[in-house]
Amino acid sequence: MDRRKFLENMSLLSGSFLLAGLPTKAWSSPLMRSLEGTDDKILVIIQLSGGNDGFNTVVPIEDSLYYNKRPRLAIPKEKALKISSNIGLNPNLTGFEQLYKEGKMSLVQGVGYQNPDRSHFRSTDIWLSSSDSNEFKSDGWAGSYLSMKYPNFPLESPTHPMAVQLGSSESALLHSHAGSMGLVFESPNAFYQLVAGSQADNDAPPSTLAGDELKFLKQIASQSIQYRDVVKTTGEKGKNLVTYPNSRLGQQLSIVSKLINGGLQSSVYLTILGGFDTHANQADAHGSLLKQLADAVLAFEQDMEKMGYGERVSVMTFSEFGRRLNENGSLGTDHGTAAPMFVFGNSVRGGLVGKTPDLSKLDSTGDVIFENDYRQIYASILQDHLGMNSRQIKEILGQEYKILPIYRSNIMASNPDLEFELKQNFPNPFNSSTTIQYVLKKSSQVKLSLVDMTGRQVSVLAEGTQSDGGYEVVFNGTDYAAGLYLCVLEVNGKRSSRRMVLTK
Amino acid sequence: MPTWNLANAQHLLARCLFGFSRKDVELALSMSLPDFVDKHLLADKALPPPPDTWVEELPKPDNFVVNGQRTVLASNWWIGLMLNEGVSMREKMVLFWHNHFVSQIETVTFPQYMYIQNQLFRQNAFGNMVKLTKAVNIDPAMLIYLDGRDNQKNKPNENYGRELLELFTIGIGNYTQKDIEEAAKALTGWQVNGLKSVFNNNRFNTEEKTFFGKKGNFNGEQIVDIIFEQAETARFICRKLYKEFVFYKTDEVFVEEMAKIFRNSKYEIKPVLAFLFKSDHFYQSQFRGGKIKTPTEFLVGTLKNFDLRQNLDFEYLSRASQTLQQFLFNPPDVKGWRGQRDWISSTTYPTRNVLTDAIITGKQVNGRALSFRVDILPYARSFKSSEKAAEFVKETSQYFCLFELSEKRKNDLLETLLSGTIITNWSTQAAMANTRLEAFFKALLRLPEYQLC
Repeated sequence: MDRRKFLENMSLLSGSFLLAGLPTKAWSSPLMRSLEGTDDKILVIIQLSGGNDGFNTVVPIEDSLYYNKRPRLAIPKEKALKISSNIGLNPNLTGFEQLYKEGKMSLVQGVGYQNPDRSHFRSTDIWLSSSDSNEFKSDGWAGSYLSMKYPNFPLESPTHPMAVQLGSSESALLHSHAGSMGLVFESPNAFYQLVAGSQADNDAPPSTLAGDELKFLKQIASQSIQYRDVVKTTGEKGKNLVTYPNSRLGQQLSIVSKLINGGLQSSVYLTILGGFDTHANQADAHGSLLKQLADAVLAFEQDMEKMGYGERVSVMTFSEFGRRLNENGSLGTDHGTAAPMFVFGNSVRGGLVGKTPDLSKLDSTGDVIFENDYRQIYASILQDHLGMNSRQIKEILGQEYKILPIYRSNIMASNPDLEFELKQNFPNPFNSSTTIQYVLKKSSQVKLSLVDMTGRQVSVLAEGTQSDGGYEVVFNGTDYAAGLYLCVLEVNGKRSSRRMVLTK
Repeated sequence: MPTWNLANAQHLLARCLFGFSRKDVELALSMSLPDFVDKHLLADKALPPPPDTWVEELPKPDNFVVNGQRTVLASNWWIGLMLNEGVSMREKMVLFWHNHFVSQIETVTFPQYMYIQNQLFRQNAFGNMVKLTKAVNIDPAMLIYLDGRDNQKNKPNENYGRELLELFTIGIGNYTQKDIEEAAKALTGWQVNGLKSVFNNNRFNTEEKTFFGKKGNFNGEQIVDIIFEQAETARFICRKLYKEFVFYKTDEVFVEEMAKIFRNSKYEIKPVLAFLFKSDHFYQSQFRGGKIKTPTEFLVGTLKNFDLRQNLDFEYLSRASQTLQQFLFNPPDVKGWRGQRDWISSTTYPTRNVLTDAIITGKQVNGRALSFRVDILPYARSFKSSEKAAEFVKETSQYFCLFELSEKRKNDLLETLLSGTIITNWSTQAAMANTRLEAFFKALLRLPEYQLC
C-alpha cells in the first residue's frame, strides 16, 4: 500500500483515530518526548514576488554591456557597494554588505533553469514546486520536505506547527500530498483571538468531489484549533534582542524571531515581499524594496546571533525570475531569466558562488543564460542545513542535483562538536524493510536500537565499538506490528533519534 | 433537460448569485428553467447610477486620503448592488470580468478609473467578448495598471501584451515570446488624458508586425481579432467560466462543447452561459456543494439568508470582505483571486466564523455593536417548522447548507438548539428561546459545510 492510500484510508483529521489498533497520541510518552530533538534546524524563506531585477541588485560594475543596455537605469559604479573586483551591491543593500563582510552571506550568481518561463505565475509555480520548465507538480518543495520529516502527518500531527507563513493566504510552497503543512497568520495574538471560539470536529466526510473540499476545510479548521495555544504561548514568551525596522518585512521577521525565541519548533518560515514587478519607473521603488529587505534581514541575523541561533537558523531569498538586461522605454525592465540568490546564517561559507553572468552571451530574447539550477540551492540547503541525505533530497526535488559550496561543506564539518549523525531512514513509511544510515566522526561506542511508542526497546540493530565512517543498516519489519517507532542512536553516551512509521 | 426542483434551483442560484433568499428560490420555481435563465438570470438591465459625483472628477495629485475613502465608497456601492441584484447574474459577471481583466487600485491609484472600468464590465457583462477585450485594451485603468500608457514605440513595454495573451485571452503555452513583443508594438499609441484614453499617432509603432504567423501593420484591435481566430481562445475562456460556475477542476469534454457554442456565436457570452445553465452536466449532483464560497458570496449571501436589508453597514461588509482576502478593486495580482482552496487558511477560516457570529449577534469581536443584526425570533418563526425543533433543524440546514449535513451533524445542531431543554418543551415562545436560536445559528454558520455552495 502506498503512503497516500494509507493515509487516505485513515481519517485525515487528528483526534481519536487508531493506527492498527494502537493509540496515535504517541508523543505523549515522556520518554518519547525526551528522545525527540528540540533544536531542529530552521529555514526562513523570503519570497521576492514579481521578479526581482538581479542586475540592479548585484551590479556588474566592470561590464560595459550593462551600462550600454541600461543607459538610464544602471547603478553607477561609484555608487555600488563593491564586494569583489567586478561586483557591487545596490547602494540600498548596506545590510547585505555588512553580512557579506562578516562571512554570513553566500551569494549564488546566475540562478535559473533550463527553458525559462517568463510568466510570473508559471515561473513561481516552477520555483515553489521544484519543477522543470515543462513539468507540472502540485506539491511545494518545502511541503515535500516537511512530509518527509513528519511522515505520519496528517494521521498524526506534531505538537508544534510544521511550518509558519506570515500572511493570510497559504502559499503552495507549503502544500504536500498529505495536505496543507503550514499555519498561516499575521500575528500570534490575533491568531489566538480568532480561533478562540472554534471547536474541533472529527466526522469523516464522504469521498465525493464536494466531500474532498469539505475534508480540506476541516483539516484547516482543526489545524488552527490545534495550534492556537502553542502559537500564543511561544509568541508571548519570545523576545527580540534587537530592534527591527518598522517595515512590513521587518515586523514579520520580528515575529518569526519571537516565535523561535519562545521555543516554537516549526522548521520552515515563509514571508512574502511583493512589488518587484518593475515594468515602469523602477529606480526608486526597487531601491526602497531592497532597503526594506536588507535592513530587515540584517536585524534578524543579528537577533539570531544574539540568541545563539546563528547556526540553527538560515535565511534564503528567491524570486520567480530576474529581469531583462535591456531597460524598456518606460524607465523599467521586462521579465527576464536568471538572477542572484542569497543565503544567510552563521553556517554559510560566505562569499560568491558561481560566475558573474556573461552579458555577451544572451538568449534570443536578450536574457542571460543560467549557470546554477535553482534546485541546486534547495539541495544544498536540504543537505547541509536541514540534514537530509541524498536519497531523501532526490525524493523531495525529483532528481539529484550537484551540491553547491553554500554552507561550510556539511553539517559535520560545520559543527566540530558533532561526533555523529543519524539520518532519516528510507523509505519512510515502509511496509517491509527500510534502510538506516549514520555517520561516525571517530571510533566510538555505538548502540543503534528501535523503541516503540511506549518507550520499550524492541530491537537492537547494532552494538559495540565501531570505527569512523558511514554505516548502513537494513531493518526488516515483517515480524513487527504496524505503528510508529523511534530509531535511537547512542554514541559515547549521547543520543539522537528519528521517527519511523511501519505500515502493513 | 434537467429536473427543475428545489435542489437544482438552489444550486443554480448559489452559483449565479451572491447567495439567495427563500423568496428568490420561490420565484425561480414559479416558472420553467429556460424561462428563468433567459428572462431573469441573463436579462439585460439599465446601468445603475454612480455612487457619487466624484466619479467624474479629474484626478488630482497627492489625494491619498480622499482616494482611499472613495475606494471604500466604491466598494460599498458595489456590495450594495450585489445585495440588491435580485435574480440577475449581472453582478456576478461584473466580478468575473474584474477578476479576469484584472486591475488593482493600489497601482491605478484613482478610484474614478476603477469605477469607469467597473461600469465597462457591467455594460458588457453578458455581451461580446471580442468587443470587451478591445475596450479593455484602451481602458484607462488598464493603460495605467499594465503600463500601456508608457509603452514606447521604439522600446516597447511588454507588460500588457504578455498578460493579454497569458491571462486575458488564449492562455500560457499557446503563443511565443515573439508574439508578446509584436503585440506590445501593436498596442502602442494610447495614453490617458484626464479620465479618458486618447490615441496619439506619433507614439504608434507603424512597423510591420508578425503575429501568430500573420504579417501587417497591426493595431491593438487587429491583434485582438487575430487572437480570437485561434481555436484555443474559446477553450481558455470557457475553462474559466466552467471553474467559476461548475467546479474548479474542469471537464474537458464539456468545456469543448461550451467552446463550440462560444465560437459559433462569435464570442457572445449570453448563449454559452444559457447553454451551461440549461445543461444536465451543470446539475450533476457531484458538483452540488463543491464550491468554496468567495468572501463576497459568503458575506452578501449570509445577509440574504437572514433577509437582512435594513440599516446595513456597507463599510463594515467591505472591510470584512478585505479581511477574508477579497478586497474589491484590489485583487492580489494580475492573475486575480485564485478561488476555491486559496480562500481558506488557518487565519481566514476562523475569521469567517467570527464574522458570521457578529452578523447574528449584532456585536463585533471587539464588543462594538453593528448597525444591524438578525431579529432572531421573528426570523425563526418565518420557517414553517419553527415550533418543531427537529424539523426546524432540518428545514434551516437545507436552506443554509447546500452540502447536505450528516445525521450526526443535525443531531449536534439539535442539541445546541435545545441546550438544556427537551424536545417536547421546545417553542420559540419559551424563555431563552432567542439565546438558544442565536447559539444554533452561530453553530450552523460555523460549520465547514456552510463555507460551501
